[in-house]
Amino acid sequence: MQTEATLAQADVSEMDLVKRCQAGDPEAFDELVTRYRTRIFGMIYNMVHNEQDAWDLAQDSFVKAWRSIKRFRGRSSFYTWIYRIVMNVTIDWLRKKQVKGVGAEFDDAIQAKQIDPASKTAPKAGALPYEIMERSETRTRIDNAIAQLSPDHRAVILMKEIEEMQYHEIAETLGCSIGTVMSRLFYARKKLQNLLRDVYENI
Amino acid sequence: MKTFEEKWTAWLDGQLTGKELIEFEASLPDKAAAKLEKRDAKKLGALLKRELGTHVIANEEFFSHQLRERIARENVEPFREQAAEVPTWWTVRRLFWTGTASLALFFVFAVFVMREKNPAEQSQYLSQILNARVDPVVSPNATISMFEAKGDRVTVLWTEGLQSLPADYAAK
Repeated sequence: MQTEATLAQADVSEMDLVKRCQAGDPEAFDELVTRYRTRIFGMIYNMVHNEQDAWDLAQDSFVKAWRSIKRFRGRSSFYTWIYRIVMNVTIDWLRKKQVKGVGAEFDDAIQAKQIDPASKTAPKAGALPYEIMERSETRTRIDNAIAQLSPDHRAVILMKEIEEMQYHEIAETLGCSIGTVMSRLFYARKKLQNLLRDVYENI
Repeated sequence: MKTFEEKWTAWLDGQLTGKELIEFEASLPDKAAAKLEKRDAKKLGALLKRELGTHVIANEEFFSHQLRERIARENVEPFREQAAEVPTWWTVRRLFWTGTASLALFFVFAVFVMREKNPAEQSQYLSQILNARVDPVVSPNATISMFEAKGDRVTVLWTEGLQSLPADYAAK
């Protein structure tokens, strides 16, 4: 757990990195990418459920952030700012995909099912086979349940439950009111509770 | 907080305090069911955190490498492209296209608007009749109306009180 002093130091050095980026220093931007790439990739993956799409969208988001870094005024944290870019890019992509109706919603889940279980090249994990299967089934259930939410509801529930963001941070990221965030959370939770009741009851 | 949804969400997340909390809990018709649902919401949150919070990027260094290459390849620098292009665009390209568009608009106006307003052919008889009208001796109470249908290329002159036609027209 970070103390307030270390948090302050981290903030200062982050602002320092941002200022260097604004002066056109790509190495400073590289440092910011290193700090946030995992969290951002994970968040996008939870929204789109496809490794390749998540990779591309994360790349697009960072390029967009680099292009517009001079507009960052430091009113919010850098992470909140880049998160807004990430959410805009991802939600736009999801909406376009829904409109076009191209491709399966969960490509990775389908690919996993298509892997030959007897394949010698399949990766070996430490967990027992039944544990892996159970975990995979749980994950698929959750993915399918999240897929039934609209992009906006997905974003809100993931930011709240996974990122543990405050209402006002989510509102700022999505460009909506706190009331809208709370309302979306209400409906997203209700839907997921109905769809996943038997899953979380067994925890 | 105005709506029930907002209050319920705040209550689930432990954000309701003091008077608001007491009032909200008092308004719940079935407190036991509400508490069960609150417990469910906590379990759902824990499940999502456990299952979705662990996804990691497969090759972090390659991700950064690819991003660095992409930024370098596109020669993307913050605001450089906009800053570099604005003066050139204004001085050469935009001025050229603005001039071309203005000329095109002028020709369109000249061909389709000004030509139709050319009074030479349509009003020669009107001029003659008006000339006749101004002569108080010839036609002191003459009134003249003109009706024109451009689509059909028809013009009708309606005259009243005309004592005589102009000499040139009468000769025809």
